[in-house]
Amino acid sequence: MAVDRTLLFKASVKTVKTRNKAIGIGFDSTKDEIFKRTRPKSGFSPKAKEVITNITKLKDFLLQHRKDYVSAGSLISSDLTRMTDSERDQIDQDAQIFMRTCSEAIKQLRNEAEKKVTSSQIKEHRGAVLDLIEMYLKGVCKLYSEQRAIRVKRMVDKKRLSRLAPEHHSQVEKTRAIEPTEEKAVKEESSEKSTSEVLDNTVEHLWEEGRVEDELSPEEIQMVCYLRQHCCHGTFHPFPFFLPVRQIEGKVVEISRLQEIFAEKVLQQETEIDSIHQLVVGATENVKEGNEDIREAIKNNAGFRVWILFFLVMCSFSLLFLDWYDS
Amino acid sequence: MAASVREKQTVALKRMLNFNAPPLKNTAAEPVWKVLIYDRFGQDIISPLLSVKELRDMGITLHLLLHSDRDPIPDVPAIYFVMPTEENIDRICQDLRNQLYESYYLNFISAISRSKLEDIASAALAANAVSQVTKVFDQYLNFITLEDDMFILCHQNKELISYHAINRPDIQDTDMDAIMDTIVDSLFCFFVTLGAVPIIRCPRGNAAEMVAVKLDKKLRENLRDARNSLFTGDSMAAGQFSFQRPLFVLADRNVDMATPLHHTWTYQALIHDVLDFHLNRVMMEEGAGAEPSPAGARPKKKSRKTYDLTAADKFWQKHKGSPFPEVAESVQEELDTYRAQEDEVKRLKSIMGLEGEDEGAISMLSDNTAKLTSAVSSLPELLEKKRLIDLHTNVATAVLDHIKSRKLDVYFEYEEKLMSKSTLDKSLLDIISDPDAGTPEDKMRLFLIYYITTQQAPTESDLEQYKKALLDAGCDLSPLTYIKQWKAFTKMASTPANYGNSGVKPMGLFSRVMNTGSQFVMEGVKNLVLKQHVTDWSSVTSQETDDYRYFDPKMLRGSESSIPRNKNPFQEAIVFVVGGGNYIEYQNLVDYTKSKQGKKVVYGCSELFNSAQFIKQLSQLGQK
Repeated sequence: MAVDRTLLFKASVKTVKTRNKAIGIGFDSTKDEIFKRTRPKSGFSPKAKEVITNITKLKDFLLQHRKDYVSAGSLISSDLTRMTDSERDQIDQDAQIFMRTCSEAIKQLRNEAEKKVTSSQIKEHRGAVLDLIEMYLKGVCKLYSEQRAIRVKRMVDKKRLSRLAPEHHSQVEKTRAIEPTEEKAVKEESSEKSTSEVLDNTVEHLWEEGRVEDELSPEEIQMVCYLRQHCCHGTFHPFPFFLPVRQIEGKVVEISRLQEIFAEKVLQQETEIDSIHQLVVGATENVKEGNEDIREAIKNNAGFRVWILFFLVMCSFSLLFLDWYDS
Repeated sequence: MAASVREKQTVALKRMLNFNAPPLKNTAAEPVWKVLIYDRFGQDIISPLLSVKELRDMGITLHLLLHSDRDPIPDVPAIYFVMPTEENIDRICQDLRNQLYESYYLNFISAISRSKLEDIASAALAANAVSQVTKVFDQYLNFITLEDDMFILCHQNKELISYHAINRPDIQDTDMDAIMDTIVDSLFCFFVTLGAVPIIRCPRGNAAEMVAVKLDKKLRENLRDARNSLFTGDSMAAGQFSFQRPLFVLADRNVDMATPLHHTWTYQALIHDVLDFHLNRVMMEEGAGAEPSPAGARPKKKSRKTYDLTAADKFWQKHKGSPFPEVAESVQEELDTYRAQEDEVKRLKSIMGLEGEDEGAISMLSDNTAKLTSAVSSLPELLEKKRLIDLHTNVATAVLDHIKSRKLDVYFEYEEKLMSKSTLDKSLLDIISDPDAGTPEDKMRLFLIYYITTQQAPTESDLEQYKKALLDAGCDLSPLTYIKQWKAFTKMASTPANYGNSGVKPMGLFSRVMNTGSQFVMEGVKNLVLKQHVTDWSSVTSQETDDYRYFDPKMLRGSESSIPRNKNPFQEAIVFVVGGGNYIEYQNLVDYTKSKQGKKVVYGCSELFNSAQFIKQLSQLGQK
């Protein structure tokens, strides 16, 4: 149980003040306080606090509209509480833009912090602060993507219920449509570098899925119309076709989840691979230079030997010459 | 005690780190960053409880020692967690003068005195920083919790309250007072954190009695001051039904000198005995290769590795009290399960590889997608498991090396037989003169245990023989002088220690404990199984000893009578050993608690030493 001694401390401060007055020691308290107020306005932490307030604003906005966003909408829909799809899309887009700007701001802060810093403790502190802000942003993005996932799932369910096409057609369409979206998502992810953008990618991926569903529907609607024209007499039990479709839906959702995990891991490894690549390039350069130096050394060695031999031969010739000259 | 001491202390620390406000449960709360400054005492308290990652999650960006060079970080609140000593206060005043941080939250580990508070106040005034000192708290956390049911008093300056300090012959009254004050202060903090006023029982005539008297006085004073009492308030209202007050048993080390010297056989106690183990952290040297380095090459650097054995490590929690061969088996089992899971994941990979060639065969995936998802999401757990298995393999191998080289199993068996007064199959002289059975220290330990536990003292000639053999083996005989004095002293006092019925069942000599292919082939090491080892303390907790003194701080009149007023059997007990304790006793208490349903026992000691440190203290005492 901790005991609060703050009041006791303040009382001690008063005691000390009165004691000092009695002794006669005075302090220029007021002047210094005024000077202290002019703290650096454009320092690191005010900017960091700004980013946090922005992210909080986003979180409050999402939470505020969450109920409306997620609501299934009853048959007796009152226009006041229910959101149209276009409104939802608007929210999605705004949220995405906001998240992107926030992650940009964090990156900028990080670069600035690297440049201006003086001591290692401050560097560590700022790095940790930025990590905390990033984690907060990730938390808020998760809120958003959860919301989004519910919405997409509901759209998928709606489409499934309204679809009356036979099983094979839908399966084939689905596979054909899903493969290109996955490829597109993979391409996009491989060309980007930071993890916060992975969040945006997962967001975009979900967005792609939703769009795919819309593209399928015109064709599906045509099929449905054709079937309705030709098969409306007689009972038409669509249920046997739905079960495998549902299974595949479930699998597709799992595949997309796996996709996210893999993409994240691949991005992590990419930075590491980049650094390893740099190291390897440096190492090959060093080895090349080493080889050059060795060649030079061999050459110098050889040249040195040649000169020695020449010198000795000249000496011996001169000795012979002197000998012949003398005799 | 609905929550264990460790949880209570962790909650108190987290609350402090959250600017002394209760932490919110909201997971997506705004991050607030702060800097944590501690001294060595604070570091020892925090490190077994919170890891660096947990500190980061709570928003602590930097954690620094108080007496290190710290740079000014002008717009960050700083949380201080220090002892209220002179130097610490001076340093805090210096920080205030240098305007290092934006706001200061001062938390003192034990209560701060009025005069020191005034020192800080005057420094704050001089530096115009009074508004910056936002909060001052007394945390009452002056003890270190190592396990859910084990605590020690301090680690830093433990020589001040060690067995040597308490029992040395040239001790002054003032020194003794100081030591007692320190111990009582920490115990008081312990009870404040626990939120309960105990009933104190202690033996007569030794240091434990002095501690009990002082603690009783302190608790009584605090309870009487109803306005400022620490034992009322929201700790009681937190839904704890403390109708049962815990029983606090004080014991003195002098009652049982053989247990700290005993060779052990359980995992945690072995690690403490044989390796460098402090505050739940093992430090070992790695890369000690058996082959000599080739001539001309630089000698292989031995890197030191540290391992943390924490509460989150399930294997450790399960096996820290098991005998060593069982531990080795379990490590092997864990390794096998891990390998099986790894193979499972790899098999999935190959299945996926085959499927990838078959376009449009999604219907054949069946439940492989689900398996793949679960495999991928369980990968971090698998990696963590692998890390723990590696950790325990390394630690256990190191321990095993020590056991093999020093033949610790022989010593263990022999000492068990000595302590349970059963027949000995080998003479003591043989073991002492055996040149490759253990270090001189081991032999000294064995001999001391023999000396302590014999009913009649050995004859002079025998003693001379033993002494000669010990000197030949290279031992230092000063502990023996002290033990002689101690034995003479305790013979005058009460009954000799009862070591209970400890049974040792050797399960076959030279038995290969592990099957082939494992690393833990313990050939030649006997597989000894510990049976119930009931020591002295457990009899006290069941209130069989009536000549202990009885204190109840809640009673209005301090009575000198030793009649226990409360005859109800206790549900919770705290056993505290003044003068030092070790893991063997802790393990015994844990085993005892497991056998008795519904009782909880917490073990504490003023310091934690292993046999080597204890022998050193004894030899210092013997040389005086």
